[in-house]
Amino acid sequence: MTNGQKQQLIRDRAAALLADGAVSCIVGWRQTRFAGKTAVCFVRAPEDATLLVWNEYTIPLTAKYLADERWTGGKAGILARGCDSKAINRLLRDNQLEREKLYIVGLPCEGKADERCRPCRQKTPLVYDELLWEEDSAADGGGTSAADADAPGRGRFFRADEVSALGIDARYDYWEDVYARCIRCYACRNACPVCSCRECYVDMHRAGFQSKRQNAADNRVFGVTRAFHVGDRCIECGECERVCPMGLPILGQTQKVIQTAEALAGAPYEAGLNAEDENFLGKFDLDDKDAFM
Amino acid sequence: MSKVGVFVCHCGTNIASALDVFKVAEAARALPGVAHAAEYKYMCSEPGQQLILDAINEHGLKRVVIASCSPRMHETTFRKMLKKSKINEYLLEIANIREQDAWVHADFEKATEKAIDLVRMAVAKALKDEPLKAQTIPITKRALVIGGGIAGIQAALDIADAGHEAVLLEREPSIGGHMAMLDKTFPTLDCSACISTPKMVDVGAHPNITLLTSAEVDAVKGYIGNFTVTIRKKANYVNHDICTGCGACEQKCPVKTDSAFNRGLSKRTAIYKLFPQAVPSKPVIDAESCLKLKNGKCGVCEKVCPLGCIDYGDEDRLVEMDFGAIIVATGYRPAKWQRMYDEYGAGRYADVIDGLQFERLVNASGPTEGHIARPSDGKAPKTVAIIKCVGSRDPKKGHAYCSRACCMAAAKHAHQLIDKLPGSRVFVFYIDVRTPGKGYEEFYDQTRKDGAVYVRGRVSRIYKEGDTLVCQGEDTLLGKQVRVHADLVILETAMEPSPGSGALLGLLGCAKDADGWVTEAHPKLRPVETQVGGVFLAGACQGPKDIPDTVAQASASAAKAIGLLNKDEMETSPMIAKIEEDKCSGCGACGPICPYKAIALEKIPARDPGTGKKIERLVARVNAGLCQGCGACTVACRTGAIDLLGFRNNQILEEVDALWL
Repeated sequence: MTNGQKQQLIRDRAAALLADGAVSCIVGWRQTRFAGKTAVCFVRAPEDATLLVWNEYTIPLTAKYLADERWTGGKAGILARGCDSKAINRLLRDNQLEREKLYIVGLPCEGKADERCRPCRQKTPLVYDELLWEEDSAADGGGTSAADADAPGRGRFFRADEVSALGIDARYDYWEDVYARCIRCYACRNACPVCSCRECYVDMHRAGFQSKRQNAADNRVFGVTRAFHVGDRCIECGECERVCPMGLPILGQTQKVIQTAEALAGAPYEAGLNAEDENFLGKFDLDDKDAFM
Repeated sequence: MSKVGVFVCHCGTNIASALDVFKVAEAARALPGVAHAAEYKYMCSEPGQQLILDAINEHGLKRVVIASCSPRMHETTFRKMLKKSKINEYLLEIANIREQDAWVHADFEKATEKAIDLVRMAVAKALKDEPLKAQTIPITKRALVIGGGIAGIQAALDIADAGHEAVLLEREPSIGGHMAMLDKTFPTLDCSACISTPKMVDVGAHPNITLLTSAEVDAVKGYIGNFTVTIRKKANYVNHDICTGCGACEQKCPVKTDSAFNRGLSKRTAIYKLFPQAVPSKPVIDAESCLKLKNGKCGVCEKVCPLGCIDYGDEDRLVEMDFGAIIVATGYRPAKWQRMYDEYGAGRYADVIDGLQFERLVNASGPTEGHIARPSDGKAPKTVAIIKCVGSRDPKKGHAYCSRACCMAAAKHAHQLIDKLPGSRVFVFYIDVRTPGKGYEEFYDQTRKDGAVYVRGRVSRIYKEGDTLVCQGEDTLLGKQVRVHADLVILETAMEPSPGSGALLGLLGCAKDADGWVTEAHPKLRPVETQVGGVFLAGACQGPKDIPDTVAQASASAAKAIGLLNKDEMETSPMIAKIEEDKCSGCGACGPICPYKAIALEKIPARDPGTGKKIERLVARVNAGLCQGCGACTVACRTGAIDLLGFRNNQILEEVDALWL
């Protein structure tokens, strides 16, 4: 099935769901003024369903908008790929969404035109109310093959691996450079589906340990704190890095947290696979392995 | 600026000899906010406390910093002192210049400098301290004792005698525990049953004790003074309200299955009493071996029961009860040596038995009516080898710890063998002989004089040769390999935590150590309390113990419970987690990390910030009774919506700033 055919399916289904009142809005993607850039949009009338698009550039996560946007009455319909479904699971787990107020239209993804989609292991949604089509394992639109995803430097933790490959001094300089360039716009936070605090500590009048000044030292505190705040819940979608206007490689930070957590636990770990799992770093168990303490 | 008073303690020469207390007081005087500073030989003493109280009045002090020993030592002392003043007792900071300074540094000048730093930090925090008020919670005047061994029996009796209600819970059909299985008790050789059965009967008859046998804990909610426990009364298929314990059913039951009480050395029926002196003295049906319950055929007990007590349709029942205090007395189990020691035959040789099996063999009410007959052929053994530390002091195969009671059990077993089988020879293989109890060394000495041969060394292998079991090992004192051709081998096995105790501790929120024993609140100073308020421990559940120690600990833990139950209500520490609901997003990250299960999510009314409509939203709430103020949640909360009263973020940051700015 071509992207064009899939887009038509999406528009038809969205219009039908809105028309019979099953949902009060559909969260999907529309084309922006710029070629190769789409944005998340809320469609509230059946006739507007023609705004919805599906192509190799429908990259942004829909789920985070659901947590931010308020809608009144009824169910919210949401177009969800594998990554969106993991984000939905996280938001459900963090009590930021209610499952019964969602109608999830599952869209198995063929991979998008973005290097961060390359190691994706979850193209079909994990949670949905209906699937519009089946995953086509042969399709390879914009993404790369599974074999390629396992190649050195192109695996699940590719960004962390890139930085880890540097020597310790080079690595220090690398991060110093990153924090010197950060403009603390918080786009990474706003895009992140697991950043769901009512009031982020960086916005607080007096957080005490984090000033609002923009300099390398405070940027560094923000960067490290962000990595730890989201690290164990990170669904590895790469939105933080994608939205960074300075092009900073910050996905590597959360990748490193997950990589380290897996090594410490001696077991694989992936956030967002369901809506029940305790946060990796946020549970207490008398039998915890504590070799690192 | 609020007036702070700083009081530097010499602690005799403990502090004064290691650093310059006068210079510390002088430096304190110059700190911003400090209105008065003084030093004194013993601040905790009566005149020391008076000195502080006088200074508070004289200088109009508003906050107090005491530079002295660890707050664990005297914080409570000084809080009590402040209750006599106008100052709230939580406007107090202790700068620990003893344990964290005087005791650990040799350089006088640098130790003085560090003391000044510690005082400066304490003053900075004191200026940010806020008055706190203790809350009170009511107390349910009833105790739950979990485990009906001698520890639980003693604890329940002590609580009941003090006039409080006690519920004694036992998962077996009778109380008595391991002590009921023993023949004699060291070092006095009292008959175990003769001294324990009267206590069991007392439990059964005591108006303040409710006995729940064949029962287990299913769930625990609540906190000190206010626990709600769900108890599972397991189906026993006999109506104990009408059963008189006549025994007709036991005589006619056609099933024969291994008696666990006799450690597999005899058979019992499917409807059975655990042992003749069981309390309650009423039978139960073991569903796993009962023919009627397994395949619907038989029903003999129902036919012979004159009162119609048998109820094959019985089911587990759940009962919810409230308690103010809980005593854990779950005891131990002997280690499964067969899994650890293949070289001892791993259970293939019938005549290699454990100490508890020997207790049954030598017991007049046991399977051989007290005749020491070896299991394989019923003959009286002429040569017996006793091996100690089987599973204990052996980190490679079993446990690193010493099981404490086995040295004396071995001496007792050796004595009983020599006494009952004249002419028999007894060899005891040991690593060390540990007899630190009243009359213990004398007993061990007598056993050796009676003829027991003690061989210092571990048995490396047991093998069969003809009719005998050869115990081969090194006599490390002779430096030679020795072989003992024994007719019977007794293994003094390690004690291990009772099966299922780990799950129970999980329900209670109590910590256990690496070996699975319950962790006490403080190994020396709070030995019968757990880390959970209102939950106490008694007996071998805390670690291997003999009967005298178990009973002593049971009474100690009963005293703690009685102390709690004597109060109508109790004060809780106000230094607990506080949630700023406006910031809380209800994500629930704090809940699972709380070791005390003190946090729950609740819905509160709110207005939707977008639409202004009335909505409900989730926020975390802290239970003041359960919260112990550990602070784990404050770190788990990414928003920083949780603060720890008495250790607020801004208070700690003030300390940090005072140190390095």
